[in-house]
Amino acid sequence: MAMASPIVSAEPKHDKLRQLGIIALNGMFDEMDAEGVLRQAVDDLLPGDIAMVSSFGADSAVLLHLVSQVDPNLPVYFLETGKHFAETLDYVQTLKSRLGLANVIALHPDSADLKRFDPDGVLWETDPDSCCHIRKTEPLEKVLAGFGGWVTGRKRFQTAERGVLPHFELTSDDRIKVNPLAYFSNEDIEAYKARYDLPDHPLYQEGYKSIGCAPCTSAVADGEDPRAGRWRGLNKQECGIHFDFNGSIAKPVSQSQLTLFKDGEFKADPWRSWAEGDEASSVRYTHVPVSVFIEHREAFLASPHPIGLQVDPGEKVEEVADDLSRFSSVAINFPAFGDGRGYSSARLLRERYGYEGELRAIGDVLTDQIPFMRRCGINAFVVTNIATRKAIEADALAEVRLYYQPVGASREVPVGTRPFLRRNANYT
Amino acid sequence: MYRYDEFDAAFVNERVAQFSDQVRRRISGELTEDQFRPLRLMNGLYLQLHAYMLRVAVPYGTLNSRQMRMLAHIARKYDRGYGHFTTRQNIQYNWPKLRDVPAILADLASVEMHAIQTSGNCIRNVTTDQFAGAAADEIIDPRPVAEIIRQWSSLHPEFTFLPRKFKIAITGAPNDRAAVKFHDIGLMAQTNGSGEIGWAVYVGGGLGRTPMIAKLINGFVPHEHLLAYLESILRVYNRYGRRDNKYKARIKILVHEEGLENIKGQVEEEFAHIRGGVLTLPQEELDRINTYFAQPAYKDIGVVDIDIEREKIIDSAYGRFLENNTFPHARQGYTSVTISLKPIGGAPGDATADQMDVVADLAEKYSFDELRVSHEQNLVLPHVALTDLRAVYDALVEAELADANAGEITDMITCPGLDYCALANARSIPIAQDISQRFASPERQKEIGKLKIKISGCINACGHHHVGHIGILGVEKKGTELYQITVGGDGSEDAAVGKILGPGFVAEDVPDAIEKLVDAYIEKRESADETFIAAYRRLGDAPFKEALYGNG
Repeated sequence: MAMASPIVSAEPKHDKLRQLGIIALNGMFDEMDAEGVLRQAVDDLLPGDIAMVSSFGADSAVLLHLVSQVDPNLPVYFLETGKHFAETLDYVQTLKSRLGLANVIALHPDSADLKRFDPDGVLWETDPDSCCHIRKTEPLEKVLAGFGGWVTGRKRFQTAERGVLPHFELTSDDRIKVNPLAYFSNEDIEAYKARYDLPDHPLYQEGYKSIGCAPCTSAVADGEDPRAGRWRGLNKQECGIHFDFNGSIAKPVSQSQLTLFKDGEFKADPWRSWAEGDEASSVRYTHVPVSVFIEHREAFLASPHPIGLQVDPGEKVEEVADDLSRFSSVAINFPAFGDGRGYSSARLLRERYGYEGELRAIGDVLTDQIPFMRRCGINAFVVTNIATRKAIEADALAEVRLYYQPVGASREVPVGTRPFLRRNANYT
Repeated sequence: MYRYDEFDAAFVNERVAQFSDQVRRRISGELTEDQFRPLRLMNGLYLQLHAYMLRVAVPYGTLNSRQMRMLAHIARKYDRGYGHFTTRQNIQYNWPKLRDVPAILADLASVEMHAIQTSGNCIRNVTTDQFAGAAADEIIDPRPVAEIIRQWSSLHPEFTFLPRKFKIAITGAPNDRAAVKFHDIGLMAQTNGSGEIGWAVYVGGGLGRTPMIAKLINGFVPHEHLLAYLESILRVYNRYGRRDNKYKARIKILVHEEGLENIKGQVEEEFAHIRGGVLTLPQEELDRINTYFAQPAYKDIGVVDIDIEREKIIDSAYGRFLENNTFPHARQGYTSVTISLKPIGGAPGDATADQMDVVADLAEKYSFDELRVSHEQNLVLPHVALTDLRAVYDALVEAELADANAGEITDMITCPGLDYCALANARSIPIAQDISQRFASPERQKEIGKLKIKISGCINACGHHHVGHIGILGVEKKGTELYQITVGGDGSEDAAVGKILGPGFVAEDVPDAIEKLVDAYIEKRESADETFIAAYRRLGDAPFKEALYGNG
């Protein structure tokens, strides 16, 4: 994937005058109401050079209403990720006609990117950062350069990170972000919606307080941070399209820190290990040890969240054979290079119990083992060893790609004259 | 014998290329010794006391003349002009330089040989009867099945990181010359009620610090299911064998601790799952491999009468050679000839490059280009026409390879010991040399008859001392080398582990001690036909204990 979006240094060097200008603007308009801030930006600061991005989510109506009051022809970009709730798409139409927005533009992900990186449409499950990247960041980057400023709907109350959000921000490339709703509280939003009788997002009343793509959005409980339902269970707050407080684009974890190698590349890992204090009913994207799963089996089976299984050496996969369809990922632990028990576990999962999901090796994963692991059905590797990382990236593993013995775990095809014993790995 | 086709050649060449690169990275400093260690071990390269040691696999002990000449070439070019044949039918080079190892492996590959899986915690070279495919007492030639096991076990993805090394031995004859009951898995050819030939499977045998005789886990496994059965055993072992203590990690400990019935239950359950699956061996495949081991084009020689007694009178050395170093052949008019690598005062199992060349020439000329390495560290010409026997003998005399002591007291198994090995506590080759000098006289050896002495320089028991009729184990006590003597061990189908009779002896006293045991046997035996081991079984420890330690 093209992870080549702007790399931003930690301390952006801004034009001093612009920086002072922003401080002045924030001082001058600190007390101004939202409509005033927006009008100032659209009419005075950046006439014809500003646009907005809207998710048409739970609280988009307020800002869109403001836009319709100030300039119904302002370009409003909508990221049509292809993963929205049907209710969201309906809501786009509702608001367009209700508010008379004349310039709503849908941004679609690059179809070649989708075909290459997310052919099955499940990237959100295995690698949500990359999913956001191709469905949001990249399409947006194509239009970013065309404007000197952007209107956002971000609010201070939304998450802890946004607590000091000002009205005007300078981005690393000296663009201006305008946050008319920065000081709005939840009550302000509700009051504004009531005053203008703005329609709610159809899912809002069902507990969805912050709405993104369907697969990565869940309802939040009363009193919970409204954005807690986004990428729930993952250490992920932003999709990468917003700018952080310093104005840098918040990027997914840098490529060199990624440790999960799967489908030919290192990618972000949505999974974590089971930890002390975790609750069976609420964890998601967590590899649950066999013993823990067995102990809380009913709760795990009842939970709607994606969970995985961790198989340590000596644990019997037989004991969870009936529940394998419950796991989106199985992690086989190889605590030491020489401990080969995991190879048997992997083959049993694949060949005897028909597990077809992600099967990953974790622990002491080194170059020499990976070819054997692959033949046993393991298709993802968490690699921390630097030499191994290099070897796997260069496809230069210590490997003999000709096999004598059949295993049932991988799609090996016979070569040569001896269909019984021989397989060749070069099929991939 | 088996010949590589394109696939086998490509397989070995890939492995050579891979290891050459690893050696290059080690020499350039890119790899540390710690990182390099598991890689070199998977290619049979050990770091010994003085230098690297390269162990080359001789699959089930079978060689042709071209391969033997290459072994000679390697000894000459990269080593000090000799090689050491081991109890696992392999050959070891004790002085190769690391930078030469890739070239050695490439040379080996050019004659269809390699060093894959001669070390490491994986399935090692399969060993068998040195007379396989020739012996008169054989039910079936075990080599085709041994070759199939070799292929199945080569770089097996599931079984490359076992708890410990894993050794399989196979014999096609009821008289076990491959010590199958002292292997992790032992296979003995078996005929079932309907006359079909299959395999009795023994599991959990071994020597080392905890000697165990393998137990029968399945009395009859047909050829077609053998690989599935082996995979079942290996899977149970891989999953449940101990990994907390390397000295308790062999399958013999698992079988011992869990009990045979328990392990058998697990293996049979596993077997029930995979039986009939991808590992089912098609008859066509067995037939195909069998053709590689087709009987050579024997000539119709008819009955050849060799009067050994007469020969003994005319040429006593030749007579003795006929008596000791020939083995009954299945084909009339032929015999298998043992070439002893146990010259009096020599290092057991060593052969010089020149000797290897002579043996290769003899194999080419007189034995249908076939050679064997025996687990008793000798070489064998398996198919020699009786009419050629004298010519073969004369050539061996010329090459100083005609020692006629096969099976006698000076035909000892000896590990390299403290002279070479990093693990050893005591020397073993000098002990063997002293004993060999003591019993050098052919008359004395003849008087003693069949007696197997086996010597190990440490508890790892590479010299198989546990199964020596007389076993000698070197230990280190307070800075001195001491030698414990055991009696009554047997590596054959009548498997037994020898017993320690009392305190050890210092090196100088070992030949005397052996002589006392031998004298006690000669005195007590019923006749010259009662062998040492038979007499021991009849008499028990007492007379031997008394011989060694007196009546105290």
